[in-house]
Amino acid sequence: MPQDMPPAGGYDPVQFKRNLPSSRFRPGTLLAIGGTIMVYGWWRLIIGIREQNELGREKMWSRIHLIPALQAEEDRDLVRRHLADQAREKALLGENIKVYNSDRYVRPTYAVTPGYTTK
Amino acid sequence: MSTRKPVFNQKVLYDTTPLPDSIPKVKELGASSAPLLSASFFIGARCGAYNDDFMQCKTDNPGKGEFDCLKEGRRVTRCARSVIEDINKSCLEQFRKHWECLDNNNQQLWQCRPAEWKLNKCVFENLKLEKVIPDQPKNSTPVHLRQKQIYSHHTIPPNAEPFIAPKSAAAPTS
Repeated sequence: MPQDMPPAGGYDPVQFKRNLPSSRFRPGTLLAIGGTIMVYGWWRLIIGIREQNELGREKMWSRIHLIPALQAEEDRDLVRRHLADQAREKALLGENIKVYNSDRYVRPTYAVTPGYTTK
Repeated sequence: MSTRKPVFNQKVLYDTTPLPDSIPKVKELGASSAPLLSASFFIGARCGAYNDDFMQCKTDNPGKGEFDCLKEGRRVTRCARSVIEDINKSCLEQFRKHWECLDNNNQQLWQCRPAEWKLNKCVFENLKLEKVIPDQPKNSTPVHLRQKQIYSHHTIPPNAEPFIAPKSAAAPTS
């Protein structure tokens, strides 16, 4: 049997080159467009962050101005309850037992709820 | 605020015993959060010295400040109460508009600038108290005087003018 041979006149040329349409922008232009968008975004972001910082500062200072008044009210309530507790303990036990080995005021963990309240 | 533990939940922990007579009585503030927030900078403007005094006393007496700073605390409360009362007396309408706006807008100050400017104007003219936010950068408009805001839901109407106190008109950041 004779060996297979190339067709007469040789094979057709193999197409190895792709004929894609060239892109619309050159890479440099694309980079510049992307960069512009990003710079704009960063600019707006920075403006927004700065405004947020200032709003946060405003909120903080409004709170700072209020804290002493709120704390004073809370302290008065705590003192009132503490003295009432002490008086109740004295009436029931005859003496005030020192629970903690320090003079610091400790916010009570447990509270006595009286069975009857006067209003 | 939201992290505050309801330690003395008044609904459960009744204790109606009043303070002993040895401790002078003082009328409490009696204002809720929105009016307080609305008046906070005026409270700070008038009562700054008392506030600092009280906080200094609390810092100097760790663990005992609740008892030792009662006097300073009464001064703070009395002063803050006087501010609220004065605003109620002379600027009730603007005050109410502003704190109702705050209540309706999640207590975000930047949603209520037009109402705030009217309140600031009235308070400055009647009580000579001015809203100043400390430590702001010098090269920009103070945030409570800006007519264009990013985070506000509503644009500020063009007829709303930010109120700048006359004496600091030359240097609004001071």
